[in-house]
Amino acid sequence: MRIQDKFEQLKKKRKKAFIAYVPFGYPSCSHTKDILLTLQEAGVDIIELGIPFSDPLADGPIIQDATSLALKHGANPDKLFSLLEDLKGSLRIPLVIMTYYNPLLHYGMERFFSKMKKVNISGLMVVDLPIEESKLYTKCAAKYDLETVFFITPTTGLARAKKIAKASKGFIYYVSVTGITGPKDLGYAALKKDIRKLKEISRLPICVGFGIHTPKQVDQILKISDGAIVGSGIVKFIADHFRQDRFLPRFKNFVSSLCIK
Amino acid sequence: MQKVPDKKGYFGQFGGKFIPETLSVCLEELEGAYRKALKSKKFKADLDYLLKDYAGRPTALYYAPNLSKFLGMKVYLKREDLLHTGAHKINNSLGQILLAKFMGKERIIAETGAGQHGVSVATVARLFGLDCDVYMGSEDIERQKMNVFRMKVLGARVIPVESGSKTLKDACNDAIRDWVTNVKNTYYLIGSVVGPHPYPLIVRDFQSVIGKETKRQILKKEKKLPDYLVACVGGGSNSIGLFHPFFDDRKVKFIGVEAAGYGFKKANAASLIEGEVGVLHGAKSYVLQDKFGQIKNAHSVAPGLDYPAVGPEHAFYKSIKRASYVGVEDKEAIEGFNLLSQLEGVIPALESAHAIFYLKKLAKKAKGKMAVVCLSGRGDKDLEIVQAHTKKR
Ligand SMILES: Cc1ncc(COP(=O)(O)O)c(C=O)c1O
Repeated sequence: MRIQDKFEQLKKKRKKAFIAYVPFGYPSCSHTKDILLTLQEAGVDIIELGIPFSDPLADGPIIQDATSLALKHGANPDKLFSLLEDLKGSLRIPLVIMTYYNPLLHYGMERFFSKMKKVNISGLMVVDLPIEESKLYTKCAAKYDLETVFFITPTTGLARAKKIAKASKGFIYYVSVTGITGPKDLGYAALKKDIRKLKEISRLPICVGFGIHTPKQVDQILKISDGAIVGSGIVKFIADHFRQDRFLPRFKNFVSSLCIK
Repeated sequence: MQKVPDKKGYFGQFGGKFIPETLSVCLEELEGAYRKALKSKKFKADLDYLLKDYAGRPTALYYAPNLSKFLGMKVYLKREDLLHTGAHKINNSLGQILLAKFMGKERIIAETGAGQHGVSVATVARLFGLDCDVYMGSEDIERQKMNVFRMKVLGARVIPVESGSKTLKDACNDAIRDWVTNVKNTYYLIGSVVGPHPYPLIVRDFQSVIGKETKRQILKKEKKLPDYLVACVGGGSNSIGLFHPFFDDRKVKFIGVEAAGYGFKKANAASLIEGEVGVLHGAKSYVLQDKFGQIKNAHSVAPGLDYPAVGPEHAFYKSIKRASYVGVEDKEAIEGFNLLSQLEGVIPALESAHAIFYLKKLAKKAKGKMAVVCLSGRGDKDLEIVQAHTKKR
């Protein structure tokens, strides 16, 4: 399913999107399968699946620790593609890849994209690929009909935001804070103003991520945007609970409590 | 001469700006400020004054008689080790701190490997009364205790980095994370010709004083240019600083000496020789990485060379064959360290000792030729490491 279609579906139901981030291969590749299916059951609208990278310089300690463990357990894109091949048909919500540029570059963009397409991944975002470096990337993604999500941050000026919006497909990822991933307090008034400005320059859905980790924050963010993205909050729950009994049902409850809308 | 980098910060196919969106604006701001600073007479006068009276420039170009005799070639040492704080790093730190001041920033952050860059940043931050936080891998903190203490005496906060290999690469990651979080008031004073555009350009320009002086000095002493320029390559700043002003002098051969650590195909830091094209810390260059593009941990006995990537301008020099790059192993570097100490009474930094050792190999095919070696720093900081190595054997 395309991200765009998902948002249209949600719009018809007058609903906003709840997006969950998890790193592939955390705590192990076999866990990821159950985790993805549980996220879907819990009512998540879109899953953002991270490709672990050795040097995640936009991530805080929670995601750093998780991705480093995933790498230790041998997570790599080939295993990801083969897992998703197995999940074809059972995973019905859109899946977006979140990656740093080097793993993509090294794998080969065309090769990576064609495999993404084969396993029904809808699109991707590359944390450290700003708009001025992305010409080839957007062209190549379009060729494989993949939606390219870009980031806009509080430091992005309006002229620049326009360029970014133009290259974006699916949704715009609005970064709630100047900083790295991890639980934070949010300034809703400023966010609301920023999002309103973006709405004037783009018709794409605007989803907010970074820092969101409580149901209350999700609720507040959904009031002023089209979607809320929770990453570290979910990863932390996994870190604290995956060794315990009944992890999956508890995980499902936790995620459902975040995304009641 | 092809002018590099181009407007987008590319040296041929290398360089660029691969950074999270939050940083885009501050890189633009930095580029604008740097352009303005270049046009400002006051900026240039202030920098010249500080380089001269505070740092001790020009540094000597010393003819090394005993080493020359030993090798059978004419060797000059560009004595960056004589600078204040003991390494070439201060050239760049003085330039960038003026830039930070110019931009009205209140707080300085930096990464450091050997601690030489950290010490030079702590020094200039004190001079200008700015807050200073230095990220340093915990392994390097262990290896370079004296420099850690120097930074503390200078009033800097040294923040230990426990992630990854606990060395320079991880210190860079944490410095960038801090920068992304505190962009408004914080200036990231990067220590080598690495990172996103315009850093490789800025650092190269500030370090080019090494090569400009060398050219003047060698012409005065020898009435001709040297056959070889030799320098160690970590991120690549002392080497680019020496090489760049000679770029158009095609007869002058450039040799960059990388750290071959335990040897090729083993743990090393020879990014140009064993790396592949990739992106790390904001620039496209040669990077040590595995088949899935995960960055490998580098290894070198010299903490300042212990980095799995290299400045994009070196990648460019390699691609157009303007420079050649060679590797020197840990144990050879220690030999170079002892060689210079014993022949000339000059104790080199372990980083520079890589370049010194390479002369032994070069001399075999270049008898009678003239070489200038960049002695990028002094070796006081490395005495403990060398002592430990000597005991082991
Ligand atoms: C004395 C000395 N030489 C060389 C280097 C390597 O850096 P670069 O390649 O940027 O000159 C360092 C880095 O810490 C250093 O301290």
